[in-house]
Amino acid sequence: MTDFIRKFGTLLALVAIVALFAALSPDAFGSANNLINITQQMTLLSIVAVGATVVMAVGEFDLSTASIVSFGGILVVFLLKLGVTPPLACLAVLAGAAVFGAISGLIVSRFEVLSFIVTLAMGTIIGGITFWLCDGATLFGSIPDGFRNIARGHVAGLPTLTWWLIGTSVIAWVVLDKVELGRRLYAIGGNREAARLAGVRIVSNTVVAFMISAVFSALVGILLTARIGSANPTGGGGYLLNAYAAIFLGMTAFREGEANVAGTLVGSAIIAVIGNGLTILGVSTFLQDIITGLIILAAVLVRRAGRARG
Amino acid sequence: MLDIRGLEKSFGGVRALAGANLSVEAGSVHGLLGENGAGKSTLIKALSGLVTPDRGEIRLDGSICEIHGVQHAEELGFRFIHQELSVVPYFTAVENAFVGRSYPRRGPFFNKQAMRNMVAGTARDIAPDLPLDLPVGRMTTGQKQLVEIIRALMGSPARLVVMDEPTASLSDGEARRLHSAVRGLAERGVAVIFISHRLDEVTEICDHFTVLRNGATVGGGAIGETNRGHLVELMSGRQEVVVARPQPHTGSEVVLDVDGLAFGDRGNRVSFQIHAGEILGLYGLVGAGRSSLMKIIWGARRQGVGRISLDGVALRSGRISDRIDRGGAYVPEDRRTQGLITVRSIAENLALTNLPAVRKWSRLPIISWKALAERAAAVKSQLTIRMASPFARPLTLSGGNQQKLLFGRWFGRGIRLLILDEPTRGVDVGAKAELHAIARDFAARGAAVLLTTSDMDELLALANRVLVIAGGEVTATLSGDELKPARIIDAAFQHQERKVSVQ
Repeated sequence: MTDFIRKFGTLLALVAIVALFAALSPDAFGSANNLINITQQMTLLSIVAVGATVVMAVGEFDLSTASIVSFGGILVVFLLKLGVTPPLACLAVLAGAAVFGAISGLIVSRFEVLSFIVTLAMGTIIGGITFWLCDGATLFGSIPDGFRNIARGHVAGLPTLTWWLIGTSVIAWVVLDKVELGRRLYAIGGNREAARLAGVRIVSNTVVAFMISAVFSALVGILLTARIGSANPTGGGGYLLNAYAAIFLGMTAFREGEANVAGTLVGSAIIAVIGNGLTILGVSTFLQDIITGLIILAAVLVRRAGRARG
Repeated sequence: MLDIRGLEKSFGGVRALAGANLSVEAGSVHGLLGENGAGKSTLIKALSGLVTPDRGEIRLDGSICEIHGVQHAEELGFRFIHQELSVVPYFTAVENAFVGRSYPRRGPFFNKQAMRNMVAGTARDIAPDLPLDLPVGRMTTGQKQLVEIIRALMGSPARLVVMDEPTASLSDGEARRLHSAVRGLAERGVAVIFISHRLDEVTEICDHFTVLRNGATVGGGAIGETNRGHLVELMSGRQEVVVARPQPHTGSEVVLDVDGLAFGDRGNRVSFQIHAGEILGLYGLVGAGRSSLMKIIWGARRQGVGRISLDGVALRSGRISDRIDRGGAYVPEDRRTQGLITVRSIAENLALTNLPAVRKWSRLPIISWKALAERAAAVKSQLTIRMASPFARPLTLSGGNQQKLLFGRWFGRGIRLLILDEPTRGVDVGAKAELHAIARDFAARGAAVLLTTSDMDELLALANRVLVIAGGEVTATLSGDELKPARIIDAAFQHQERKVSVQ
């Protein structure tokens, strides 16, 4: 029983939160329309969080995610304005982000510098490049409708954005749980020295993890631009702390103390539901922040207590 | 002043102390000797309050004294200087001397001038030429030792200073300066327990000595009444037991060829070869550079000059994958920090070195959980590992079974070279025998085995040939009838002495 709660407690918490809001505001919160709304709201955050989860698996932090989201959004418009075709522009953005990720991963693993500092510095550099590209202004215009449709409308009954979330989550889940790469990433995260002595290549595996995170963040930048039809150099700002909040909440779910894709999804759902529900109840945004912060602290403390007993 | 009688202590069935006696006088330097695992550290820990003895008594000035903890030991005037120095690198000698002590104050602030004067007063007697205002991080190891000694004399009056191998990593000149500081301590009336593996310095600076073997005191007295040969005899002690010793190995091809390989801090070189089916033992006291040499050979640490080849192919420096691709295997010295991924399952730990073996389809790098469990089951039955489920975490197993996992993960590959660093540390006798059988089995199937261990019995039970390292140099190569504890210990304690090369 305790085992069950330890594994599925976070999921139960999500269900309880949903039930609570549905009871408090059955008409507005509980409507099918609003539930779809919530999945839309959590999509972009979730993709960033899922990417950062891969980096968490090797025991590192990627704090450059938000900057890469903004960078991706700006660069894609910049290229479109130059007349590059949308598919090529998107590919170029993802490749550019992959290079940034590779540089961070290389510095972190090859020179054994704290990932915190490396990605914070990388994020600052990328932020500078982003402002340089757009001259600090919001970019709009010359965004073709075909491009905008990658983040609008529905495909096979589900919002297009939801399909992106499903796709990226499946990729991350396969990487972490199904292929050899994942075993190596978790081994490095579990005990870097032991993994190294057992012949796991620390540098190349860490680099791949950072590349995945960077590419996912850049994808979110592209989707964000496509969805709102313009790009802002600080558009990704909100994605850093909430993504890590989702990951930390998720680390309390399914597998003890380990970043995992399913847990991260539950974590970001909790954050999205709380945000949506409190807005519907008319709670002011600053109170929402306080409540979200308290919930994350509570989740971490519950995990501590569970571990002390185990 | 201090009198220890009949101290006993067991850790989970392993007797670390089995009747240790030690008697130290104020104002004298007492040498505490014994090979690795003889019980010196446990005895010291009993004095520092980290270990509570099962039996026996510690008397201080004639009355029985129970030491309740580190704080209490400190109040009694006991000071400990460990091998891993605990100085703050950014602090100067003066600042370090007061860490954890009460500071002289002027109002609410500490008084820097008074601090410096107090330290300078102590340093004048002990180490007059020590730079007091230099950050300790920029000092040599020898100077850091002196800072520790000065620190030991700050605060409440020190009555007993215990030094654990203070000269192990010092140059001769620095060691000499330390010796005079130690003598200075004794002249102030402090009792000093001096642990060292350098017999020459023990006979030089100590007044008395005590030798431990297998946790018990086997000899002691005034240093003037003994000599080097006598001490070696006391430490090794073993009667020449007649057991079926592994025979010297000849005839088969060379698997590992180490040629002029640099290791250690002093830029020493080592050369040796291991043949197929042979177990080569590497013996040296702690600090002799064994583990670092093993790591260089495994490619976990970059090498300087020299060549390492496996089956005639040169291995690149610092490339572990080179070794694994050519059939290398490695069991690291500390299973918790270097061996096991403790947060992953047993099955994953067993598969980590050979992930392609647990693929679902051989062409795609997709893991099959079924193959993972099957591999764990196969290793489990071959090595008789007692485990509940292959998906439990490794720390749920006993130490011996955890150690078997580290061997087991190399199963199913054609192993040519097996490197063992302390393969049975902290496991019980039964598991030890099983692990020895596994190691012999690897050798019987044609692997060259390189073994290093602090356990003399293990060395003698496994090795066909033994290389002894002391002071960063190979001081003896022994095999066959020459493989006797006294010969090995004698060579291991040769520090900057006559170099004997026995072929």
